[in-house]
Amino acid sequence: MFSFKLGLKNLTRQKRRNFITIFVIAFAFLSYLMMDSIMSGMEEMSFDNIINYDTGNVQVAYPEYWEDRDELLLENLMDLNRDMEESIENTDGLLGVSPELRFKANLNNGIDEVSVRGVGISIEKYNQVFGTKNYVVEGSMFAPGESKAVIGVKLAELMNLKVSDYITLLVRTTKDTFNTIDIEIAGLLRAPNPMINNGIVFVPLEVAQEALNVGNGVSMLAIKTVSGDEGTVIKALADSFKDKELGLRAYSWKESAASVIALSTAKKGGIGAILSIVLLIGMIGIINNVILSALERTEEIGMMKALGMREWEIVFVFMVEATGIGIFGGLAGCLLGYAGVSWLVRNGFSLAYIGGDGAAYGIPILDKIYGAWNYPAFSFLFTLGVIIAVLSSIMPSYWAAHKDPVKAIYHR
Amino acid sequence: MSLLELKDVKKIYQQGKIKVPALRGVDLNVEEGEFTTIFGPSGSGKTTLLNMIGCLDTPTEGEIRLNDKKVSDLSRKALAMTRRHNIGFVFQSYNLIPVLTAYENVEFAIRLIDHTSVLQIKEKVLKILDEVGLKGLENRRPNELSGGEKQRVAIARALVKEPKLVLADEPTANLDSKNAADVVDIMRKMNKELKTTFIFSTHDPMVMKYARRLINLKDGMISADERRG
Repeated sequence: MFSFKLGLKNLTRQKRRNFITIFVIAFAFLSYLMMDSIMSGMEEMSFDNIINYDTGNVQVAYPEYWEDRDELLLENLMDLNRDMEESIENTDGLLGVSPELRFKANLNNGIDEVSVRGVGISIEKYNQVFGTKNYVVEGSMFAPGESKAVIGVKLAELMNLKVSDYITLLVRTTKDTFNTIDIEIAGLLRAPNPMINNGIVFVPLEVAQEALNVGNGVSMLAIKTVSGDEGTVIKALADSFKDKELGLRAYSWKESAASVIALSTAKKGGIGAILSIVLLIGMIGIINNVILSALERTEEIGMMKALGMREWEIVFVFMVEATGIGIFGGLAGCLLGYAGVSWLVRNGFSLAYIGGDGAAYGIPILDKIYGAWNYPAFSFLFTLGVIIAVLSSIMPSYWAAHKDPVKAIYHR
Repeated sequence: MSLLELKDVKKIYQQGKIKVPALRGVDLNVEEGEFTTIFGPSGSGKTTLLNMIGCLDTPTEGEIRLNDKKVSDLSRKALAMTRRHNIGFVFQSYNLIPVLTAYENVEFAIRLIDHTSVLQIKEKVLKILDEVGLKGLENRRPNELSGGEKQRVAIARALVKEPKLVLADEPTANLDSKNAADVVDIMRKMNKELKTTFIFSTHDPMVMKYARRLINLKDGMISADERRG
């Protein structure tokens, strides 16, 4: 079809203007793809950091405890017994089970005092579920049977503490009396989840249980499963708990990460707004291009009409040209986006540029957010870009084609 | 046989509140194969008359018949179809498409009406380009051609679809005397060989010299209509 050929050839006219339009579209695509990559990466990293350093894949607790779990109360604790252990041991797909006793404490270094979250852990079981031990930057995690503590470097800096220093944890027991845990620091942590670094003190489970006077009580069990198997495990555990009438419930990590998920959802809304702006930029670029081309080619349009071209045939010529610009802009944008996202995936975006770690923004990420590949975003954006290019060229093309032939021919 | 018939054609333009008559009642008959020149001073209505004849515009009053078909009250779409199949245009400023070669500029016009094979179209285009003296220049773009060569491409574009009528509005106005003479020669040759009807508007005495019919337009009316042997 000759009109198609003419439309394509017209792409070689006004090279500079077409290049600028293509560049603007490409830059808009790049911005969107990088933003999308950062958001996806942040979501992935946040969820990984929650699962691997805070909650595990599944948590088991009494519903009454779970409802008020942020209060760190010593009520409705689980008293680990044979029935419970059997229920859990007989469930398929578990890679590790870590009992935790979470409690409120005041950490005292002899001069200052700060409120912290104490976590009593059974170190061997804890290491099966969480990867925290890989982030000990000074000293080590405490060994089984050793009565020592591990704290985050941020907390250590705040309280001017180092390895081998003694700290005092002031706690309130179940009998509503005060008790203290005097304990030596075995190691300092710098985990990817900044929440761990800022305000948690890990102590041996039996030390915490004794100091808090809770017997064998634990707040919850953190369970590691194969990623994605949480639903199956939760169902199996629920059935088992029901059979044995234990009154326990299993919860997905998502329930603990509700605030992060809400934040992530809100940011997806933000991405949608960015997408709208990107498409608007593309639309304005294309409309501007078609209008300028039509103004420059007024006599040519008149000649086409004199030759007997119908309006839709002239519209088609302009639409082919506009669509070509959309396609080139989209391709260039996807190529630039590929380069940009590759860089983000490899090098990440330092949170120092926005002043601090992710904790300041409610996201459990420490230093850098690494981009994530979201291939559907490339094809989605490209397709949408081309569709928008076609649609946005219709009106100005029709305006161009609708010109009075006499006025167009004698335009000058 | 009459190819074109105009009966009391009037065209009045509205400029604000003022009505400006461009044609005040033109009666004209043009036979097939005529080589006609319309001349007259600026503002006499030559271009307006050509636009009416070329179905680019419609008269305010009166009737135009082309090939015995009334065209003065056709819709825009029907007018476009009439132009596509029956009329060729040659413009003063050539109006070639700069991104297309000489060959493609001519091909463009024939593709609108001829859907035969590429080879047949190629044959027609090369033949007409040869006839207007552009053999060997087929692959040049307009910016690589002289003014005379561009106008020859425009003539080839007008003639390639073998229209009954070719309208040329001041076709030699932008050319030097040698190129102007060449262009008029080509049109005369085509008129003789193809029996295509030509109607020009011009100020150029050299073009008028070759015309076999001279129509003098004055104040929107035909003041003289002279046929030469």
